[in-house]
Amino acid sequence: MLIQNFFNKRLVALVVASVILMLAPVVAGSNYFLHIAVLICVFGGLATAWNIVGGYAGQISLGHAVFYGIGSYTTVILMLRFELSPWYGMLVGMVISGIAAVVVSWPTFRLKGPFFSLVTIAFLEVVRLLAIHDQDLMGGSSGLTIPLNIGFEWMVFREKEYSYALSLFFLLVSLGVAWLIRRHKMGFYLLAIREREDAARAIGINLVSTRIGAMVVSAMLTSMIGSFYAMYLTFIDPDATFSLAMSIQIAMFALIGGLGTVFGPLIGALIVLPIAELMRGWLSSYANGVHGAVYGLVLVIAVLKFPRGIVGSLTVFSSNEKARIAALLRAHPEKEHMLAGRPAKVVADKVILEASGLVKRFGGLVATNNVSLQLKQGEILGLIGPNGAGKTTLFNLLSGFLKPNSGTVRLMNENGEPVQIVSPTQCARLGIGRTFQIAQPFSGLSVLENIMLGAFLHTRDVPEAERVALDVARLTGMESHLSKPASELTVGGMKRLEVARTLATRPRVLLLDEVMAGLSPTDIDQAITLIRQIRDTGVSVLMIEHQMRATMALCDRIIVVDAGAVLMEGSPDEVVNNEKVIEAYLGSGYKNAA
Amino acid sequence: MDVFLQVIVNGLMLAGVYIGLSIGLTLIFGVIKVVNFAHGEFLMIGLYATYLLTTYSGLSVLQAIVPVVLLLFLSGYMMQRTVIQPLLSAPHHMQIFATVGVSTFLMNLALLVFGADVHRTEAPSALHTISVSGINLVVSQLITLVVAVCLAVGLHVFQSRTMIGMSIRAVAQNRDSAALMGVNVKRVYAITFGLGCACLGLVATLIAPQYPVFPTVGTYFVLFAFVIVILGGLGNVTGAIYASIIIGIVDSLAGYYISLALKEVICFCIFILILIVKPTGLVGKESGA
Repeated sequence: MLIQNFFNKRLVALVVASVILMLAPVVAGSNYFLHIAVLICVFGGLATAWNIVGGYAGQISLGHAVFYGIGSYTTVILMLRFELSPWYGMLVGMVISGIAAVVVSWPTFRLKGPFFSLVTIAFLEVVRLLAIHDQDLMGGSSGLTIPLNIGFEWMVFREKEYSYALSLFFLLVSLGVAWLIRRHKMGFYLLAIREREDAARAIGINLVSTRIGAMVVSAMLTSMIGSFYAMYLTFIDPDATFSLAMSIQIAMFALIGGLGTVFGPLIGALIVLPIAELMRGWLSSYANGVHGAVYGLVLVIAVLKFPRGIVGSLTVFSSNEKARIAALLRAHPEKEHMLAGRPAKVVADKVILEASGLVKRFGGLVATNNVSLQLKQGEILGLIGPNGAGKTTLFNLLSGFLKPNSGTVRLMNENGEPVQIVSPTQCARLGIGRTFQIAQPFSGLSVLENIMLGAFLHTRDVPEAERVALDVARLTGMESHLSKPASELTVGGMKRLEVARTLATRPRVLLLDEVMAGLSPTDIDQAITLIRQIRDTGVSVLMIEHQMRATMALCDRIIVVDAGAVLMEGSPDEVVNNEKVIEAYLGSGYKNAA
Repeated sequence: MDVFLQVIVNGLMLAGVYIGLSIGLTLIFGVIKVVNFAHGEFLMIGLYATYLLTTYSGLSVLQAIVPVVLLLFLSGYMMQRTVIQPLLSAPHHMQIFATVGVSTFLMNLALLVFGADVHRTEAPSALHTISVSGINLVVSQLITLVVAVCLAVGLHVFQSRTMIGMSIRAVAQNRDSAALMGVNVKRVYAITFGLGCACLGLVATLIAPQYPVFPTVGTYFVLFAFVIVILGGLGNVTGAIYASIIIGIVDSLAGYYISLALKEVICFCIFILILIVKPTGLVGKESGA
């Protein structure tokens, strides 16, 4: 209750403050203040839209002015040529920008960090140069002037108050969309991809469509505001519209306010823009570059001193996650945990995962040499072999991360039909869950969010994902860590998180890659119990493990690989007493020495 | 035919400028693994410095080389020490923002100090044309090409023969192992950044007679430098030379046969294609993907 009240009070205070802030320029009544207020709304809105790609998805686009420009030019050209109201022009512009976003982001979704930024700059430059070159439609370098039609229909008003109201509306649209995305599955997925691509694919996230989706939404919002702002300025030209400096400015507001937060970009614009504008106002008679220099300096200082931005640095803005999770845990007491709810329907000797004739070469090295194996329903199959034997390569082939040179991997789907594995995402959706030998947590996210991401494979609903995550956390002994960032876990903790996140996807087949390495003896006992429990619900487990005690205790069957090929297959006892196996691990000298 | 030959030769001359532009950028990326978005603004500093020195202190362009190169080395050294070094283990996007911030700051500082006007470094002797069997060569372009090639060779010798050069290569291979071998990594990074910028200083003085200077001159050049560095394979000096020749000739051909206004569009389209199709460049190993 206390927490509830606290939140409500804060919410009320926030709403009151926002309303006062929104009304202030109108009350002040000066056109100059109103102009700055419009600028804040426009750039705040642009930065909010940019943040969907730059902050949530972590792709630093420095070419967002392309979409802004498409919005501006489409609206103005349609108005000049067909006397079409800018409201329609805005919609057409948004559609074109959406298409442009697909064109830009589909081929470039793989590019990382600075390379994505460079490609967006290159797109922007190409469009800008073409706009300058095109005299007929876009008016070349001299630009286009908007005919003065006044009225709501034309988005142009005599009184600046109306323009301001309209800019506020578009800002709220942008904020609303950004807020919705952040609070829903898509926002979680974008953050996951930003943090770690491979782990995201392993829990069934489609990188391409998620990233393109973010870009399309962001581009359409940017275009919308571009249309409005063109009407406000009543004049557009290529250099100011398809401007790299403006793209940078937009990104800067988002960074200063807090990348990846919902309100950060607006707050960044709210704080930096007036300072720079006022300085420009005071000093304009003396010098030209003042506000740009201020922007550059502020940006460098922000990166060096407050990399998390204003919203990220101030605790006032971060809700008390720990208290919220404690309340959640209390609200959902442990009844029967998720595993108990699922009766095992094990059909004896039914093969669920089958690899046949797998070959994988890396240049001259044959890492997997004609490997075939069968995993049966409800069985625990051990995969052992000396270092460099090709165990992890085999895992990557089974989970779709690597494509074999020849051979196939097939999984029986829920109806018992064999389906060939072609990609990690498809593999996860079919029900294969895998962990990584080197833990791949989504470092910037909390442990709870990490596990929730797994749960999103089967639900779109955030509270539902949270419930599943709490269940899994209890099962894996993570409940006391839920509010921590994943990066703060110990090595053992990260391994457990790997398992928890994978379990949350409710896999039918579980591939565990050395989950016991680095665990203490007590932790290993717990892990053994857990894996048994999981198996007892009908899940088939394939585990790579060096920890012999666990392997011997758990496995029904063991496959030994050496130098990329299957050396032998049998019960744990048969395997440990086999001379070939001993030789593979210890060398032929061992036999003679003994 | 003569025209075609002249266009090709012009392209080669342009390649000299591009080699000089991109060699520092690729060196910095190869060793420090940082993409310096402010690279163009360092060129701008070099061009303004050359302009000021030749106009107000009576030095000739060639005499200006030493102070300009030193100035650029120091600027680069300071940039690494104050801005890049603290961000080395930060996420990629922080380095992008930081160098973009430096770029924005420097560009606008130049606007503040020098205004938006175009300034020209006067050196009539550099613009003399010599004619070799019907092909015209501008002296300054020829010198730029020769010096740029010497610079590339010199850099190679420096990296393979001198102690500091070898430390740079060691740090490029593995920062931590180099530190364990007693290499002062921070110092090597700062020197590398300084060297990368010093290369720009050299080119800036040489091209100053041909190219006027204005606050946004860096943006024009830096995009070409990026095109070349990525086409040549990031961090690969030899690759950058080949890429400079390719882009120089494409630029020259497109400017003559298609349209002067669209030659940049063609170069940037090549850039986008390379990034999409083969982000490792023509000969590179480092991947953008």
